[in-house]
Amino acid sequence: MLNTVAVNLRAIFRDRVFHGIVVVALLFLLIPSVSSLSMRQVTELSITLALSLLSLILLLLSISLGATSLWKDIERRYTYSVLSLPLSRSSYLVGKFVAVALFLLLATLVLGAVACCMIWLASGIYPADRPIVWMNLVLCIAADLLKYVMLVAYAFLFSTVSTSFFLPIFGTISVFLAGNASQQAYDYVHSPLAKTLSPVVKQAASFFYYLLPNFSAFNLRINAIYGIPLSMKAVVLPVMYFCIYTTLLVVLATVIFTRREMK
Amino acid sequence: MHAIEFDELSKVFQGKKKVTVNALNSLSLQVAQGEVFGFLGPNGAGKSTSIKILLGLIGSTAGTARIMGVDVTEKSARSDVGFLPENPSFYDFLTGEEYLRFVGKSFNMSAADISAGSSDVLKRLDLWEARKRPIRGYSKGMVQRLGLAQTLIHDPSVYVLDEPMSGLDPIGRALVKDIIRELKERGKTVFFSTHITADVEAVCDRVGVINKGVLLAVDTVSGVLERGVEGYTVRVLKPDGASEERVVAKADLQEFIEKSMAQRWAIERVEPKRKDMEAFFLEMVSPKQTSG
Ligand SMILES: Nc1ncnc2c1ncn2[C@@H]1O[C@H](COP(=O)(O)OP(=O)(O)O)[C@@H](O)[C@H]1O
Ligand SMILES: [Mg+2]
Repeated sequence: MLNTVAVNLRAIFRDRVFHGIVVVALLFLLIPSVSSLSMRQVTELSITLALSLLSLILLLLSISLGATSLWKDIERRYTYSVLSLPLSRSSYLVGKFVAVALFLLLATLVLGAVACCMIWLASGIYPADRPIVWMNLVLCIAADLLKYVMLVAYAFLFSTVSTSFFLPIFGTISVFLAGNASQQAYDYVHSPLAKTLSPVVKQAASFFYYLLPNFSAFNLRINAIYGIPLSMKAVVLPVMYFCIYTTLLVVLATVIFTRREMK
Repeated sequence: MHAIEFDELSKVFQGKKKVTVNALNSLSLQVAQGEVFGFLGPNGAGKSTSIKILLGLIGSTAGTARIMGVDVTEKSARSDVGFLPENPSFYDFLTGEEYLRFVGKSFNMSAADISAGSSDVLKRLDLWEARKRPIRGYSKGMVQRLGLAQTLIHDPSVYVLDEPMSGLDPIGRALVKDIIRELKERGKTVFFSTHITADVEAVCDRVGVINKGVLLAVDTVSGVLERGVEGYTVRVLKPDGASEERVVAKADLQEFIEKSMAQRWAIERVEPKRKDMEAFFLEMVSPKQTSG
């Protein structure tokens, strides 16, 4: 499987997508000057901008890599030459997934470091009222990474049942949108405001709440921006949630892919 | 133990609009170890379908297949096999050399074996100059030759080649035939599909003819060629010095020779005139046209 991971990582590095993010990442360099324009809350603004940009890049990466990795292999008929090697379907798929996840980790490490440098520069220009809690910033970025790895697992699941890139790409985008909204929808349905809703709708909402991912659990941005202390629970629960949910998705994708015909 | 075994193998493809295609109909076939077997059939006969089942790329609707006694649904069935897909395509962001290393690692070869084996096969298949170039820039023939190289690098005992000669120029074709003969000499098993009868005649021990998913005949190549003797071309030298060539039916040869002797014609040469592999193939595949 290491072999599969290595070859897929190489595929990503030699892909055009990789060169695309390098260009987008240059936007990080603008953060200090843009934030200083606000004259107030420069540090807070720079943290917000840096985290948003990092999140956007990770989103683009997880959709473009996650949704096309398997599809490309099938489309370009690499699957015939690779799956006929003494390699199980599961190690092929899991290897691919690990490669994309590792690449996201690498991108996060590099871009996260750049982001922290820029925030540090910005805070030097206009010191904040509250000191930056770097640990919170790191945890916030790590939680974001977990969220996107989970999204990649969804993209893989869609890829295993689809013959085109349409379902993987749009399915993944839908999951992303739904995952960000699911907590709000759930809260709304269970609030006094929703009294008029029929019980069936509420049941359905709960069902989807538990089925769809809840990405708000991974949102530690407020803590990072305003240096608000993080509870142990706010860190451990998302990690556990991530582990269980992602494992289930990958196992399901593997089961489907093992049965798939390479026609 | 047979190198390759198909046992009552059937495959039904579920096409669009509930159209079903019986691509393979109860195929049973054994290929012995050390044998070069030609799987001969026209386009759409079911050759690639059988081969894809053999490599675990698709499942069978009914029946089983084994490589070296191991059921093809297990990945270990592929651990001693070199496979060349039809119109192959390889990770094109890698160079030829990198791809061979990837394949070598997949077969758990040591780094030393990989680098030695890789330079051997790259040179053998005339890819040495191109080894450091991305496969993306290879021509069709080069990709096909790389395909053969990646079956050879780990020196397996069974080779499954789907139309190995396609996409190659005459030099490449000759090279492939040479390689197959060499593998035979080294006791390897080669199972390859083709629609070209001359390729079968050139290198195979046995041939199986398949059409419309049905295996029509299995025979030794020499058997086909011997049974195919239809008559003889006899060259005689007449007393006046003139030489003449006559075509004599198989049954009439004895009589003709006696007659010639009586007339004091000298017989210079007797050559069996055979129906070749092509005629055998055409007869199998379209019996109505040739039997009349
Ligand atoms: N994925 C598929 N879906 C439907 N029919 C298929 C599929 N693959 C092959 N077939 C059909 O199965 C038959 C055998 O095809 P194939 O094994 O590729 O032939 P060959 O390799 O001998 O040229 C053909 O009629 C072909 O149209
Ligand atoms: Mg074919």
